[in-house]
Amino acid sequence: MIPTISSSLYFRGTYAVYVGLFFIFLITPLTVVGIFAFNDSMFPSMPWNGGTLAWFLNETEPQLGLFHDEDLLESIGVSFVVACFTTIASLVLATCNAFLFEREQFPGKNLLYILMLTPLVIPGVILGVSILAFSSTIANWAEMQFDYDLEFLRPGITLVVLGQFAFITTIATLVISARLRKFDSSLEEAAMNLGATRIAAVMTVTLPDLKPALIGAGIVCFLMSFENFNTTLMLVGSDAPLTIAMFDRLKEGSTPVLNAVSLLLMVASGVLALISVFFQSEKPGS
Amino acid sequence: MDKSSYTRFSLWILLLPFVLWLLLLILLPHVDMVSISLRERVSARNYTFSFKNYTEFFIEPLYWRTFVRTAWMSVLATLITLLIAFPVSYYIAKMMRGRLKALLFILCLIPFWVSELVRTYGWMILLRETGLLSTFLQWIGLSDQPVEMLYNDVAIMIGLVYTSMLFMVVPLVTTLDSLDDSLIEAGYDLGGSNWNVLTEIIIPHAMPGIVSGCIVVFMLSLGNYLTPILLGGKDSLWFTEQIFTQFITRFNWEQGSAFGILLLILSSLIVWAGLKLSRQSFTNVMS
Amino acid sequence: MPENSNVTFDLECRQVTKSFGDFTAVDQVSFQIPTGSFFSILGPSGCGKTTLLRMLAGFQHPDKGEILIKGKSVLGTPPNRRPVNMVFQHLALFPTMSVTGNIAYGLKRRNVKREEIRTRVADVLKRVDLPDAGDKRIDQLSGGQKQRIAIARCLVLKPDVLLLDEPLGALDLKLREQMKVELKLLQETFGTTFIYITHDQSEALVMSDQVAVMNQGRFEQVGTPQELYYHPETSFVAGFVGDSNRWEGHIDAIEGERIQIKTVEGESFVGRSIVKHQLKKGDSVEVYVRPESVNIENPKNRSDLPNQCRGEVISVLFDGARSQFLIRLPQTEGEISVAMPQTGEHAQLRKGDSINIAWAADQCLCFRRSSGNHDG
Ligand SMILES: Nc1ncnc2c1ncn2[C@@H]1O[C@H](COP(=O)(O)OP(=O)(O)O)[C@@H](O)[C@H]1O
Ligand SMILES: [Mg+2]
Repeated sequence: MIPTISSSLYFRGTYAVYVGLFFIFLITPLTVVGIFAFNDSMFPSMPWNGGTLAWFLNETEPQLGLFHDEDLLESIGVSFVVACFTTIASLVLATCNAFLFEREQFPGKNLLYILMLTPLVIPGVILGVSILAFSSTIANWAEMQFDYDLEFLRPGITLVVLGQFAFITTIATLVISARLRKFDSSLEEAAMNLGATRIAAVMTVTLPDLKPALIGAGIVCFLMSFENFNTTLMLVGSDAPLTIAMFDRLKEGSTPVLNAVSLLLMVASGVLALISVFFQSEKPGS
Repeated sequence: MDKSSYTRFSLWILLLPFVLWLLLLILLPHVDMVSISLRERVSARNYTFSFKNYTEFFIEPLYWRTFVRTAWMSVLATLITLLIAFPVSYYIAKMMRGRLKALLFILCLIPFWVSELVRTYGWMILLRETGLLSTFLQWIGLSDQPVEMLYNDVAIMIGLVYTSMLFMVVPLVTTLDSLDDSLIEAGYDLGGSNWNVLTEIIIPHAMPGIVSGCIVVFMLSLGNYLTPILLGGKDSLWFTEQIFTQFITRFNWEQGSAFGILLLILSSLIVWAGLKLSRQSFTNVMS
Repeated sequence: MPENSNVTFDLECRQVTKSFGDFTAVDQVSFQIPTGSFFSILGPSGCGKTTLLRMLAGFQHPDKGEILIKGKSVLGTPPNRRPVNMVFQHLALFPTMSVTGNIAYGLKRRNVKREEIRTRVADVLKRVDLPDAGDKRIDQLSGGQKQRIAIARCLVLKPDVLLLDEPLGALDLKLREQMKVELKLLQETFGTTFIYITHDQSEALVMSDQVAVMNQGRFEQVGTPQELYYHPETSFVAGFVGDSNRWEGHIDAIEGERIQIKTVEGESFVGRSIVKHQLKKGDSVEVYVRPESVNIENPKNRSDLPNQCRGEVISVLFDGARSQFLIRLPQTEGEISVAMPQTGEHAQLRKGDSINIAWAADQCLCFRRSSGNHDG
């Protein structure tokens, strides 16, 4: 079952068709979403009423276009802010974690490493409710003790960022650790041998080497945050990020403006994906 | 040289933020959730210790049925995803070469680059009564009236499998890719059949990938909220929905916490069993 | 050990010891290196060479002992402030920087002015014979060029001592031969003290002023290449440096420096004992004879060398200048390698021929049998 070993033409044909069907299965829903963004109808469904850009550009109800839909635009803004904070926080902590687990030796390291991985197996909804419960416990306690309301511990953007930060850090740590593990630590020693302090060696030699991984991890963090639903749903306050806003509209019955947003998201993600592929492959020496 | 205290210092600097993250965002919230789940509200701001929230779960059939159903459907979704993904991953990893291989692999990643909401939305457009499939069936004459394919278990299953496909394909392709072709050739050379080679060489080698894919897919299905709600409609009976209802709609945090803990215990048990059965270690599989 | 203030040593180690758990990687090593010399540490893989070098560079801390550079202890000095630089086993050139970036790295850390950095980098590039390589990326260089950049990167800092950890290990054979000569010339033109570690005896013998032979964490002998080759002081050195035939046996009789040995197989040899070994009659010994010190006798014109044997050629191992005959000694079934003279004499010998061989007592070295190592 590898090309160097002969197998019947029939088998190969069936196999190729199967894989072909798989890819059709994979892209059909997305294509459909994209195409119906241009349907001149109040519903994202058949029949096809001819193409239009109204769902992007139209300025008035009922066919209010995406670029004039204040609510959606605002939620995109919220998502963007949340994603930026989450990405920065996760990258910083993940870089520290990578150095901690790849470079340092300390008792209990294995246990802590396993605990670091646990967010991968905690369902997002539960992570969300546990953080919600804990932050409320603290906020309630503070209110009782000091009669002061810790606003940021109530559902809202801060909690959403914290919730996403909790599990996105783990993923970023894995990406950065993998790269750091491959890094030849004698380069750092060489830098110290040439007169650099340990911190200078990390700054001038190790971090530049990690740059592609950092950019890649940053893009992954950004996308995961932007697309996150489960954890966000539990922690969201009055400012809804995009996924929550879209979900609310979907429940009410949607118009193709959601297709327009989706298409925009796909294009933006595609561009980010290309950037990350570009940075991943731009390794010196290859 | 003061080397030891120097490295100690850097260790503490690195350890501090990690420990804060672990305690404040992972461990303490869950401990808190356990303690909330073990109390009963007597009056406003007055609680007693009690197992009532857990006994409630077993007394009320709706709760535990939903629980069992969620677990069962998640296991099923995991198996289906594995069965669909394995041949495809094998095809990409072993039958393809060079650019085409890279292209197909990237194509597999595409759904990841769009939000789960968009993916589910795509299936809604396809499956609903006025959707594409229904129209298509009428057009080719298989049906003479619109067919509603949304809001049933099959739709949920399709959505779950589709949503988690990527998380199965990536680990599978990665491990299969690391299998040296010459091992497969040696297998055939020593007289193995397709079946022998598959079960004795390929699958054992791919085991870490299979296990990590299954764990992630299972977790994602179990914790999914969007797909069952949107594709399964009102009667989707997914356990995360119960948690959401208790927490957000009914504001019964005690009950919601108990549900959360139960779901967490279930998922840990199944992950643990999966690791034991396949003799893999958690750290190995996850990184 | 008294301080000797007349001679300046660039580097001095006193009783340096380093253990990893129960395992002693470097065991009470002491040596002194005069200014401007090329000092090699030669030993098999795993004998502790890298560990010793890393202690000199400051990446590891000795458990016991003292390291002095230019007469001052450096044990309290962190690696980035020691006046030594190191060429790493795999060179450790920074892939994210250009050649210039690599060479300027150490100067920048010392806050040298821009202008001066530029001139010093250009100067050192010229001296390693790569004047135009400055803008290249590291992956555009060949193996030999990388080598020279790695050395230039250290020498531009004018270190007191340059440490080299098997730097030729990654190169192919031809390039290695060439780099040996180049390294020696570089050392002579820069005048920097080099400490060079290797497991390849030919590298050590060709380049060094002094060689230390290291085994299981200890220095067996320190001396010039000639001393090591012709006057090994321990059986390990005799076995490790150059090729040797080796027998085990015991001492039958002693007459001054001359001793009579009976090997386990039953041969009788006349040999010389190393004075410091103080052998007695009946002691177990090891006997070493180099293939090139064995004469193939001309039947018409026999020498009067004390060790005489008759044997049968069982194999001709042709290897150019290092060709050898493998000869079986019929009485005992023992075997001995004999170098093929490069004069063309005896070139007609074939498998199965019988010949007489002989060697001098001085060429037959005896050492007290050490329990343990039998390598070499
Ligand atoms: N950090 C370390 N921890 C434990 N053992 C080590 C360490 N570094 C080296 N060793 C051991 O010390 C011995 C000498 O190693 P090394 O100095 O690298 O030898 P060489 O360079 O001569 O080949 C080896 O047996 C090695 O396993
Ligand atoms: Mg070494």
